[in-house]
Amino acid sequence: MRVSALALKRKQWEPFAFASPSLLLISLVIVFPLGYSFYLSLRNFDLSVGPDHEFVGLRNYSEALLQDGRFLGSVWNTAVIIAPALIAELLLGLGIALLLSRVSRGRPVVTALLAIPAMVSPVMAAMAWRMMFGVKFGAINNLGRQLGIIDVYFDWFATPALSILSVVLVEVWHNTPFMMLVLLAGLQSIPQELYQAAKADGATAWQTFWFITLPLLKFTMAVGVMIRMIDLTKLFGLIFILTFGGPGGATETLAFNTYLVGFKDFRMSYAAALSYVIVLAVLALTLVFMWISRHREARTA
Amino acid sequence: MSAVVTATPLVTVRRANRHRVQRGLAGLLTYLGLALALVFFLGPFFWIVTTSLKGNEDFFAYPPVWVPSEPSLAHYGRLFTHSSGARYFTNSLVISSLSMLAALVVSLPTAYSIARWRFGGGFLSTVLLVLRMLPAIALIIPVYLMYKLLGLTNNYLGLVALYTVVYIPFAVWLLVGFLRDFPVEIEEAALIDGCSRLRALIRVVIPIIAPGLAVVALFAFIATWNEFLFAIVLTGIETKTMMVLVTSFTSGGTDTFYGEASASVVLGVLPAFAVAFFLQRYLVKGLALGGTKG
Repeated sequence: MRVSALALKRKQWEPFAFASPSLLLISLVIVFPLGYSFYLSLRNFDLSVGPDHEFVGLRNYSEALLQDGRFLGSVWNTAVIIAPALIAELLLGLGIALLLSRVSRGRPVVTALLAIPAMVSPVMAAMAWRMMFGVKFGAINNLGRQLGIIDVYFDWFATPALSILSVVLVEVWHNTPFMMLVLLAGLQSIPQELYQAAKADGATAWQTFWFITLPLLKFTMAVGVMIRMIDLTKLFGLIFILTFGGPGGATETLAFNTYLVGFKDFRMSYAAALSYVIVLAVLALTLVFMWISRHREARTA
Repeated sequence: MSAVVTATPLVTVRRANRHRVQRGLAGLLTYLGLALALVFFLGPFFWIVTTSLKGNEDFFAYPPVWVPSEPSLAHYGRLFTHSSGARYFTNSLVISSLSMLAALVVSLPTAYSIARWRFGGGFLSTVLLVLRMLPAIALIIPVYLMYKLLGLTNNYLGLVALYTVVYIPFAVWLLVGFLRDFPVEIEEAALIDGCSRLRALIRVVIPIIAPGLAVVALFAFIATWNEFLFAIVLTGIETKTMMVLVTSFTSGGTDTFYGEASASVVLGVLPAFAVAFFLQRYLVKGLALGGTKG
């Protein structure tokens, strides 16, 4: 192998020397703060009380998981937003990817255009939609009135259920393009011979989809869903702009609740403990994600 | 698509005709579906741009005016002068550019080490992936306290350092991919001619993988540009970015500040438009582990 020929010429210290700047910076700016944060999570540091703090063991964690209704509520809220958003993103993304895969002319341009929402910051996406949801001058109510669908000023954030629906709508707009891109790549990696064989055997379009496309797309779908799920666990910017957690905390997600505990109540230790709960959730999802991608590599190899 | 066109088994002319009609109909529905998708996904941008160009009489008009009768840049002017928009736009540009460059410079040698010498093996790549997935909220609490102690809040350097390091795992991961595709023979030739490793990297490898570097750079730029949580906690009145600026338009219900708010959104999404077209081929890779997410 070529690489081993090169390896003969290498000096022992070189691989480490090349990698060390990154490793040093990562230890300093990521690993050390994470350790410090874990240390804090075992203490009772509260900036609104004072600079002193003492060791309290796992009390912050037990408070979060057993007593804190607001935190447990934020777990529920996050799940209630994630589930419909993921389903909608998967189905819509798959639909559009299938449509795109049927088009031969102009596909790159259309794909790039459809991908734009995924490149935009959640904050900007939320701000654009916040204005579109505007009661008096928003595009949605204006359009609805012009079409005769609504005749009063409709408040899209009036009730908890409606707010969640509005957040899900924006999230679907924002990230369906990502799902579409992943699934389109998956569709294009399915060998054309399979479709030709199915056609020669007289399979209907539906049979082709159900017995060829779907089974071969399964892993791609799993990977796309996992990545979105991990990202949605951290949902923050969208909430900050659209609802600021309201009404009545109905859209307070995990990350948003932790942000409020840390930077509104200044309970630093407690916020650190909450953030570690999120880290554990994300870590678990990441492990599932890695297991799925390994599984897929083993299958395709 | 090509399967449908090329596979022509023995069919009668009549069946072929029926197929053609069906295919025509299916094609029509395909284009119709895509047109609907384009309206849904690009409609908000259209509305934001037209809103930012509207005068006040168009704002309050009923029935609503969808295309401004007299487009004007007044809202942009007001955003730049009244809300310090120019300053915050520049902040975003400077912070994103510096973080992008720093992340690239630090990540390339690491990626090289992993690609050529398998440095760290599977362990390091697992760690990098986990770090990539790490929630920002877990980092901001300790970093905020440390930065406060060090006087790095409301400071360009603090934000740039944080963005740079947070972006390293992703940059390394993408760069390893590009370096593995790089023909080792060219590099070997340089090494045999007496080049040092570092010289070979700078003189031979970088020019050839420049397009790959550009891809990583653009993703890094967009990710930093879009980042929100670190920015809102760590920036102050002078160092705000565009993402922090828009939060100032959210007070007072959903119906206020349309002019300046829409202008700031237009400026805030500009890089995404540019990058979506440049990076079309790499979007899947970049977005998958990229983090254009705030």
